[in-house]
Amino acid sequence: MIVIAPSSELTPDQVSRFIHSLGLDLHVKETCYGANIEGPRDQVRKAMVEVRRMDPNRIFTKIRAFPIGDERRCRAHHGSRPGFPQLEKEWKDLALIDKGLCAADRGEVCREKTKPKPLPVKQLQEIIDEVTR
Amino acid sequence: MKVFIVPPNSLILYDLVERFGHEPLSLMGELRDHVVKPEVESPPLNLSQEDIMKGLKYAGIEVPSGVRGRLAIWGPLVDQAGAAIIMHDMPYTFGCVGCHRTNLMLMYLVRKRGIPTLEVHYPHNEEEAKLMVSKVKGFLEGLK
Repeated sequence: MIVIAPSSELTPDQVSRFIHSLGLDLHVKETCYGANIEGPRDQVRKAMVEVRRMDPNRIFTKIRAFPIGDERRCRAHHGSRPGFPQLEKEWKDLALIDKGLCAADRGEVCREKTKPKPLPVKQLQEIIDEVTR
Repeated sequence: MKVFIVPPNSLILYDLVERFGHEPLSLMGELRDHVVKPEVESPPLNLSQEDIMKGLKYAGIEVPSGVRGRLAIWGPLVDQAGAAIIMHDMPYTFGCVGCHRTNLMLMYLVRKRGIPTLEVHYPHNEEEAKLMVSKVKGFLEGLK
């Protein structure tokens, strides 16, 4: 499953056409979020490497359990798609992951923010005294 | 190295693990074997009684069947894993990853195995995303 991040300028159509142009022995299906590809493992890997090169930090991939057009899941056959809300949520956040990957490529050092310390009781007492005076 | 991801169906974690040169152990990969194998044991999802019995290795008989059923698939993946990444506070808590008790059991199983584990939080803004990706990258590169 190839998912294009919302921050990418690529379209699912461009990606599917590109995969077709590779001339590999693959079954390709264009979808609203990118494309699904199916075929021998080595060919799928080859296609994934090539597709990622189009926009390295904005093209994401994962394996899908059900085959393309499987009647148990394909909505064209009124199949249920319980995983879609999660995919939709993660798809929206891919723009953030893209920023993270770009920062990692640049070697940007990211440090965890220190949590603000709780207000000491003494200081809180002083504030209360000041307000209630 | 085989890296187990929690939630086991996360697109973000699956991609990051693969991107940084490791093999992600995911729910989708495991279920694919179930749904495409030629013998149809228990259609439509091919979950057989044997699978449910496997869950007994990871949870007692008094544990609800939904938890055992999930652990029957996820437990063997934890056993295979050489490392794990746990993502907390995921906003989607429904569907196959919607059982909180199973998620707690799963995290317990991962921690009990004593494999190198990274715990991160689901990012909600750019800064958090940068921090999460840099942590994941550092962890995965350190495994090589």
